[in-house]
Amino acid sequence: MTAGRPARRLEGLAFVTPFLIVYLVILIYPLLMGFVLSFQRADLFGARTFVGIDNYARLAADPVFHQALGNTFKLTLLIVPALTVITLALALALNRPTRGAAWLRGLFFSSSVLSVTIVTLIWRFVLTPDAGLVAEILQAIGAEPIPFLSDRNLAIPALAVTTIWWSIGLPMMLFLAGLQQIPEDIYEAAALDRAGRWTRFWRITLPSLRRTVILVVMLQTAAQLQLFGQAQLLTAGGPSGASRPVVLFIYEASFVRWELGYAAAAAEILFMLVLLVTLAQYWAARPREGE
Amino acid sequence: MRLGQLAAVALVAGALLPTAGCDPGARAEIYVQRFFGECGALYGRETDVAKAEGECGIVTAMINRFAARNPDLQVDTNVVAWPGYAQLAAQIAAGDPPDLVTMHQSVISDYQSRGLLEPMDAILREAEVRPEDFTVAARRGVTKHGAIYGLPWDTVGGLYHVNTALFARAGLMRAGKPVLPRSAEELLAHARRFKAATGKPYLVQSQVNDPATHVRNFYTYLLAQDAPIFPDRDHIRLRTPEARRVVALFRTIDREGLTTRNQDYPAAVASFMNGEGGVFLTGTWMLGPFEQESRTPGRALFGAYAVYPYPRLWGHEAAYVDGHAWVMPKRERTPAQRQALARLLRFMAAHNFDWSRTGHLPAFQPVVESAAFAALPHRRDIAPLARIGFAPCPMPRSVLSFLPLFSGP
Repeated sequence: MTAGRPARRLEGLAFVTPFLIVYLVILIYPLLMGFVLSFQRADLFGARTFVGIDNYARLAADPVFHQALGNTFKLTLLIVPALTVITLALALALNRPTRGAAWLRGLFFSSSVLSVTIVTLIWRFVLTPDAGLVAEILQAIGAEPIPFLSDRNLAIPALAVTTIWWSIGLPMMLFLAGLQQIPEDIYEAAALDRAGRWTRFWRITLPSLRRTVILVVMLQTAAQLQLFGQAQLLTAGGPSGASRPVVLFIYEASFVRWELGYAAAAAEILFMLVLLVTLAQYWAARPREGE
Repeated sequence: MRLGQLAAVALVAGALLPTAGCDPGARAEIYVQRFFGECGALYGRETDVAKAEGECGIVTAMINRFAARNPDLQVDTNVVAWPGYAQLAAQIAAGDPPDLVTMHQSVISDYQSRGLLEPMDAILREAEVRPEDFTVAARRGVTKHGAIYGLPWDTVGGLYHVNTALFARAGLMRAGKPVLPRSAEELLAHARRFKAATGKPYLVQSQVNDPATHVRNFYTYLLAQDAPIFPDRDHIRLRTPEARRVVALFRTIDREGLTTRNQDYPAAVASFMNGEGGVFLTGTWMLGPFEQESRTPGRALFGAYAVYPYPRLWGHEAAYVDGHAWVMPKRERTPAQRQALARLLRFMAAHNFDWSRTGHLPAFQPVVESAAFAALPHRRDIAPLARIGFAPCPMPRSVLSFLPLFSGP
């Protein structure tokens, strides 16, 4: 028996080695390279000079980066809580074994399968003040069209609405999966105790979905801090940078201005931010004593 | 298969692969990358350039024609979304750039200064293309440190595209021609009169996701006032009385509703075509499509289109211009590929007149002076652009990058 253990360990290693190699090559190595790059003045074509923390110092004093950071936080704050509440409500409403509910689940999930290009095209037709859907409705009731995509105060909410519409599918499915794991007998016991609908929701459903809520919030926070495609295609970060998120800033610095080191430094800051926010949420939602 | 057999197969394959690449009977393959849009559904099989319209149609038909006339060559075309520079930079960084690529002349310096482009003097000689035939603007656009880095294809600039029917309603036509303003104050007076008479804005502008519009207007009127935009390689000077004058004018136009607002480029084009404004401030590339509209009965622009360079509002006549060019990123090429590229360049140069039907000014002086070009509609009216057009230099890349100066459809 003891002779079999090293052999089985080798077998196990043989199974995970291909994954480990791919993981190291396409994730860990670029991560380390990015970290090294952030201390260099580098362009896309191989020029590299060590500049210490110069890139980070420049970022600290760069108002465009500060604006992009602010925009990213605003977007995340607008999207994540709303998305969590909406998808939880949808999951609660559609968690029933009827044909209509199944059809609606498919309908609400369908937006998630669209590419960002299609999503932004659809929302351009909805939001543009020049013959857009909202503009047509407003004009029909005698109101002025609203320039959602070119007003500095409305561009971020417009991006948030677009993103919520696009992202509804996965969290809704996660909540549905969570709901279906709650044992029915708990609800039956609550019914015997004459617990009302709200009491059942607050005392049974929500506590049972705690882990799913944490998962949804953490996944969505990490995703929205990296929002890119919608902003690039719908507003190009405008007007005057009012809707430029950090990833668009990184894209412009690296692929448009060729300042790869500077972009890498911004990417490292974003990475740390995502890590910190995720860890903070994890810490805040950890099980306390007696729970 | 046993390991020994596998190794033998790999050895044989390895020995065969390089020979396959050098097969003298194989067709030389060239990889062309361009913007100007994708219109394969309409012109994918068209080889008659005269039947094609618009930038996309004409360039597609031209490349089709070249491929059809040169069956010994394999021409692969990759169409990139305008302007395609992020993609090109990534291709160069990956060591796999195209053989020939469209590039704005104002952008050539960015790539040339890093040694990413091939000087093209020799290949143009081989193609029997004479740089002496380039127009002054085109030659200036592709010449860097005494060497030529592109086959210039045109000169592009902003124009005043006018709906003459609406101008007539506003009493702004004289002897069959639109009355254009001669000062900022006159422009405001005309615009107010136009709005009062027609109920429509005087200007149509694409102001959403299109900084190029503002930059064209701004640079043109700074050049007209001889305001130095780039005092040196690292700075741009915009806090000047001249700049404030230009900004104040456009802010007044915006505040008084004398322009369309909140339109992106497609919306602004549609707006002008539907007769929703008097003057569309856009480039030479729309001359062809608008001209076609003006010949189509039932359209808002039918018999009601004229086009001119930006009017002089301050200082002297001026226009900020750029141009398109075909450039060769540095990469290894076989002699057969070089020869194929020379043939393609010669073909492109020989068809410069066809390209000028887009509305852009030709890059070759003999074409500019030809009767065929003069016979094209409106070309006499926009001809001054070749004389007054100017591109400020040096242009720092940070400015270029954020402000794509000429956005075609």
